[in-house]
Parts: sequence; structure tokens; C-alpha cells
Amino acid sequence: MRRAWAAFTVLVLAAACRGRSEAPSARADVARSGSPPSSSTPALAALDAASEGTPVAVDGGTLQRRLLGEPTSLNAVLQTSLPEAQVLQYVQRNLFDFDAALHLVPGLAASMQVSPDGREYVITLRPEAVWEDGKPVTADDAVFTIRKIADPGIPAPVFQSLYDGLERVEALDSRRFRTVFREAYAFREMAFVMPVLPAHRFEGRDFRKAPDNRAPLSSGPYRVAAWKSGESVELARNPAYWGPRGHFDRIVLRIAPDNTTAYRMLLAGDLDEDQMDATLKARAESEPRFSDCCRLVEFYTLDWSYVALNNRSPFFEDARVRRALTMLSDRAAAARDLYRGSARVISGPWAPDSPAYDASLPPLPFDPAAAKALLAEAGWRDSDGDGTLDRDGRKFAFDLTVPAGFETGRQVSEMLAAELAHAGVTARVRTLEWAAFIERVDAGEFEAASLAWSAVDPNPDPYPYWHSSQCPPHGLNNGCYRNPEADRLMEEARRELDPSKRTALFHRLQRIFRDDAPAIFLVNSTQKFGFDRAVRGVTTSPLGLSGIWPGPVGWFMEPIPRASTSVKRPAA
Amino acid sequence: MTRYVLRRLVLAIPTLFGIVVIVFVLVHLAPGSPVSGGGEALRRPTGRAAEELRRLYGLDRPIPERFGAWVSRAVRFDLGESFVDRRPVGERIREALPHTLLLNGVALILALVIAVPLGVVAGGHPEGALDRVSGVALFALYSTPTFWMALLLQSLFSVQLGWLPLYGVASDPAPSGLAGLVDRLAHVALPATCLAYGTLAFVARLVRSGIAETREADYVLAARARGASRRRALWTHAFPNAILPLLTLFGLLLPALLSGSVIVERIFAWPGLGRLFFDSILARDYPVILGLSLLSAVATLGATLVSDIASAAADPRVRDGTAT
Repeated sequence: MRRAWAAFTVLVLAAACRGRSEAPSARADVARSGSPPSSSTPALAALDAASEGTPVAVDGGTLQRRLLGEPTSLNAVLQTSLPEAQVLQYVQRNLFDFDAALHLVPGLAASMQVSPDGREYVITLRPEAVWEDGKPVTADDAVFTIRKIADPGIPAPVFQSLYDGLERVEALDSRRFRTVFREAYAFREMAFVMPVLPAHRFEGRDFRKAPDNRAPLSSGPYRVAAWKSGESVELARNPAYWGPRGHFDRIVLRIAPDNTTAYRMLLAGDLDEDQMDATLKARAESEPRFSDCCRLVEFYTLDWSYVALNNRSPFFEDARVRRALTMLSDRAAAARDLYRGSARVISGPWAPDSPAYDASLPPLPFDPAAAKALLAEAGWRDSDGDGTLDRDGRKFAFDLTVPAGFETGRQVSEMLAAELAHAGVTARVRTLEWAAFIERVDAGEFEAASLAWSAVDPNPDPYPYWHSSQCPPHGLNNGCYRNPEADRLMEEARRELDPSKRTALFHRLQRIFRDDAPAIFLVNSTQKFGFDRAVRGVTTSPLGLSGIWPGPVGWFMEPIPRASTSVKRPAA
Repeated sequence: MTRYVLRRLVLAIPTLFGIVVIVFVLVHLAPGSPVSGGGEALRRPTGRAAEELRRLYGLDRPIPERFGAWVSRAVRFDLGESFVDRRPVGERIREALPHTLLLNGVALILALVIAVPLGVVAGGHPEGALDRVSGVALFALYSTPTFWMALLLQSLFSVQLGWLPLYGVASDPAPSGLAGLVDRLAHVALPATCLAYGTLAFVARLVRSGIAETREADYVLAARARGASRRRALWTHAFPNAILPLLTLFGLLLPALLSGSVIVERIFAWPGLGRLFFDSILARDYPVILGLSLLSAVATLGATLVSDIASAAADPRVRDGTAT
């Protein structure tokens, strides 16, 4: 369960894209994961109608995608945020990738062998894999990359934690290398969903400032043709690419920070794809201008939101109180009214599409009466008759912190505060700028905080986030949840190499998480994209559009001449 | 006069130093750290990795030591490296600067070209029909929020009419020669309008009040008595005197050329200094924040100095210190 913190609903709920592998090929148009929410039925119906019959992939044309901001570095090891990942997916192949069904598929690597004790991995690279300059991709390149990732002096936040237990890595011959970890770990193979850098380009250079960080040597189907600071990144085909070629001749990734502008760019044909928030989605559904040019693609991912409760606070140390707060929250109403139907209530720290999630376990009910009884049982009563609960002279009033720009999170928090007020609990909703917010959350200096997870990979391991050894300031168990039984199950799941036994452990954990309510688990919501109607081959996945292989590399443009945007279509 | 200029120059140094100290301290005391990264980070470094990063950025050293290191580099015109992409701060500023200069330059010219004649004509007939109408209109403009105006202009000129481009600094691919110039101007039109209208309202009212005052002055009446036309009296006698406060105002307007507008640059996807500044603040990219603050401090001090010197040259009372 390696995940990213998500701040801004639209800006960030996009999952990371570290996925790539295998042949871009003509495939069924849209494989939706999760059932689409009912409110978007008309748009999705249109999508299905448009994809009747399997489209045949056509080569040529230009794809225009949106970047939310300037990529910081095109050195795959140094990447930190979504814009880099979006560009790098075309330029740098990974050793392995996730496919749309979240299975590991080979990329630069051809195979992986694991020692019986689960500590040693021998990986064999594809013999045909070459760099843009014609040199082969070697085991030395992979060893160089892993050593850079594991080097504490190199800021590699996306990959560093994957190599925490690394003992040594060594090349066996030009195509094979061995990685040895200190101990076996059930999700270890996900460490190899990582890029490989060309060692020969960094020799004698400062790794953090090498020219390749702006103009990387490609191992993927495209290469960087131009990077105009603050404006766009342009990609052209990599003529030396060893795999099946991508369909577009050219890909332009335009930096468009503003959502409304980006939406208008989509309508004007200046973008072919744009991620939207719930407000813009509602607007798109009612605007003929949108349906004339574009279609909506909406699907569930592994992202989910919750209100973290500081279990060390005198308010939230009692599980009965935490459970009561969850039961005071009408999460179904939030999903219906605030998420406009594009969300489902969850009962634990996973999204329903995660392999760890037990869909048969219902969330705690919305039941204010039972919740009040639980609060009374825990000693919280309105002894002075002022309408607010108290215990030992302390009023039940706490700060609920929301990061600025996380609009849905703020709305959900306001709604929760109103619901709690009915039960005599005061939640003061406070907005904090992101960097200030996350510093406090990491340090465990908060009472309650509105948060969302954005899935970077499908690893469901709850250990880093809920194990008692991971409390702040050094771990990510921000609320410092402690339960010896849960601790034991989490430790066991990390060691359990049999997937079905592991799933059983996660299901037991989910029941504990639900009943212990270390946090108020809220909903799993959808990602929404507007697409130019001519873009085909779009595959969605629980990791989003981009977190998989081939993902966007498999998209192509159907040669339908249309008046408004015909200029960028390839010749029929 | 030389003594006056020298005195002002010497006084500027402690002012600049004071500004730099305040910015440095504020930036480092603000909650959040470069290690947290922006809200878009895929994974944030934690634990040991975060500590290593802090050391890498020099954040483990005390603030006075960091300040000393920064100043000793800055006086040699080295603003350090961005935490975000490890490129020199100077290079990042140089990339964004031309875009902001173009946008704000066009906006300033646009504002002045409309505001000055409007102010003169309105001030020439205080309480006249034009004065009243333009007064109301200018106040309305001055109080219109920029983001709203930007979206409105986009809606009308780019979406509905399709006359002007929606975003960016140039078409892709950009045409060359005269067509290229026209293309650049078409791109700058809407964002420049957004930036111009507030300044326009402000300057027009300033000119108007200056003119309204001086038109009754003895020397203007004298000019009229000598037979100068009303128009001539207004433009050649009242206007040069009414424009003096504008010189001071320039001291404030010119540095604005360098301070990009976050909102306009974001909405129009304009890669200028405003966006760079905003993104740097979100990412707590201290070297870039400090570099940009230094740039605008120097620009403000420089422009104030120039406008003071111009006022001194134009008005002996200012340089003698006898102005009342």
C-alpha cells in the first residue's frame, strides 16, 4: 500500500503513472474497472455507442494531453509528481509494469526468478532492448539505477521506500542482475516496477544536474523533442525503439494549470484529454458543445478519502468514540450529494477494487442514536446542559483540519461538522495551506484531518500506515493507531507469500479496522476525464489512465473527419 | 543634485538589506518545508530519506548560517540552485522574465494610452457628463475581480467569437515574421487587458484629479487671459504640472512590470514570473523565492530612486528638501 497523499481533488486524485510494458495494440476500446456510477450513464452510453465494433488502430496524428504543472526533472529516478510521470511513461520503459488488471507484465525485463527464501531476485533483461543511441540496455544500467535509488544522498522519493531493505545488488552478466534484500516481503516484486537509467550518460557527471535530466536518453517508444519551460513538452517517435511503435507521430503535453482553461482548451481542440472535477463534469454533461466534440470517461480507481483521527488525543483514544463519529457521518448522503453519485462508501483503508478489500463487509451504519449511546458509554455526556458533550470538565470540541484547495474534502468536513453538532460534538473546520498542513499531519500534531489517498501502485500493505511501530514522527501512521491484534496480522500479511492466505488476513484486518475505526473511512470516488471523441484505445484501470502499460501509449486517433478539429487528424 | 543622488543611493543599501533579512526570515519561519513538496507529490520522502533531503538542502544548519551563505553568494550574483529541479535560480528567472516583461509592458502601455487622455479630458470638465460617466465606469472596473474578468474575456473573445487565442504565449507551431508578431500580440491581448484595466482606472482618476486642480491655477488662467485656447491651456499648461505626481506613481508601476500576476498567468497558461513565484512558494523552493524577492526589491528601490531623481530634476524644492 504505497500511496501518495492527495491534496487537490482534481489536481491530484490522478493516480501516478509508473506503468509501462508490452505491445501497444488495437484493443477493445474501453475496459472499465468498477461499475460506473449511475449519474454518468448517458455519457457512458454515448461512449459505448461510439466504440461499437472493435476499432482498428491507426498510426499518425498528434495527441495533445494536459500537464497540471511543469515537470521538475525528466530523470526517472528523481521524479516526484504526476507531470514527470506523464511524460516519462512515453520515454522510459520500466523493468516491469502493471497491466489494466493490475498484473505484473514484463517491460525492459524479460523474466524474474525468486529464491525459495524470497530474498533474492534474479532479473533477466530483454536482449533486444536498446537505448535511443543504439547501445543495449544492460544489467550494469539496472544496477546503477538501483544503487542511485538506494543512495540516501539522492532524492528519489517515488522509489526509495521500495528499496528500504536492500542488502546488495550486482550484475551477473550483461543481461542479468541479482538483487538481495534483507528479508522476504510479500509485495517485493513491486519494487521492480521501476525505470532504468543509462549509466554511460551519467559517468563523471553530477547525477542531480546531468544534461539527461532535461533531455533523457529514451528507452521507450518516444523521445523528448522539445521542452518549452512553462509551456509544453513535445515528444516524437524514438526511431531506435525496440518494441512495437506507438500510434501517434507526435505527442504534445501542454502545461495548463487552470481547470476551466483546460476544459475550454478541450472544447477548442487544443487538448484531446483533460481530467475534470465534479463541477466541470456536471457542466460537461449539460453542455451540447461538450457532447459535440467530446466524451466523458469515468471510472473508479484505488483512491479513497478519510478523516484521520489522532488516536493519541484524549478525544479519540477510545475506539467507541471513533466508531460513534463514523456512525454520526451520513457517508451515503455525502456520496450522493457532494460527490454527485460518483462515490461509494468504504468500510476500511482500501478501495473496493483493491484485492485486499472485502466487499461483503458492510461499512458501519449511519445511526446517530446508537452513536450517542456509544459516546455516553465512553463517558461523554452533556453534564452542564450547554448542548456540548463533556467529560471530566473537558468539552468535546476539536479542530478538523483541511488542506487548502481540497474542495470536496472541505465540503465533506463541513457536512460532518454539522452532523456532529447534532450529537453535541464540536468540530471546528480549519483550512491550512498544503505544505503547512502536511507538516503537521506527518508530525502527528493534529486532532482530526481530512485526507485522501491516491494510489501509485496496487500494493495493499497497511503496515506503513497503521502499524503501531510507524507512529510519528518517523512513520506514516499519522493518527498513531495501536492494536496488538492488528499489528500481528499486518506483520503476518507482509510475510505471507500465498496470495489467497494473504487476502484472508486482509479481510480479517478490514473487520478490525472497521470496528476499531482508527479513522473515519469515507468514500472511494471516481476519476473523470473529458476525451476528444476521436481518441480511441483508451483503457481505464484502478490505477487511473496512466498508471498502467500500455495505458496512453496504446491510444490512437480514429480518422473521423470533423469540422471543428479536423486539422489535427491524420489523413484518412 | 549629485549629492542628492548619492545620498539616496547610500540610503538604498540598508533598505535593501532590511528587505532581504525580513524575506529570508519569513520564508524560513513559515510552516511547511521543501521536503514535503507540493500537493501533487506521488510519494513524499519520510523518515531517514526526509532527513537526508534536509541535509542536502542545508536545512539542518541554523538560519543565521544559511543567511550568511546566501548573502555571500548573492553579492556575487549567484542566487543558488532551485530545490525543485537543481537548476540555477538565475536561469529559471531568465526563462520566465521575458514573458512577464512582454505581458506587463503591453498592459502598462495599454493602461497609460487610455488613462492619460481620459483623465485629462475628464479633469478638464470636472462634474461634466464624461467625468461622471467615466468616474462610475472606472470605479466599476477598478473593483472588478481579475479572475472573473479573465474568464469573461476568454468566454467572449476566445470561445464565443473565436477572435483571440485562449491561452499561451504563441501558436504551436508559431508562424514567423510579421505573422509571428501578430500571433504574439493576439496571444498577449486578453491577459494584458486583464492586467491593464485596474491600473487604467487608477491612473485615469489620478490624472483627472491633477488636471481638475491645476486647471484653476493662476498660470493656467493667465494663459487663457493671454488668449490661449481652452484646449491649449489644458494640454500645454495644466497637463505638465498635473503629471508630476505620475512620476512618483511610475516608481510604483515600473517594478510591477517584473511582478507577474499569479491569477492571470495561471488562467492564460502564461509561463511568467507570477506562476514561478507561486509554484515556488507552494513547493517551499527557498532559493527561487529569495531570488524573485530580491529581484522585485531591487526593481522597486531602483524605480523609486529614478522617480525621486526625476522629481528632483523637475522640482528644485524636492532636492533642496524645502518641499512642503
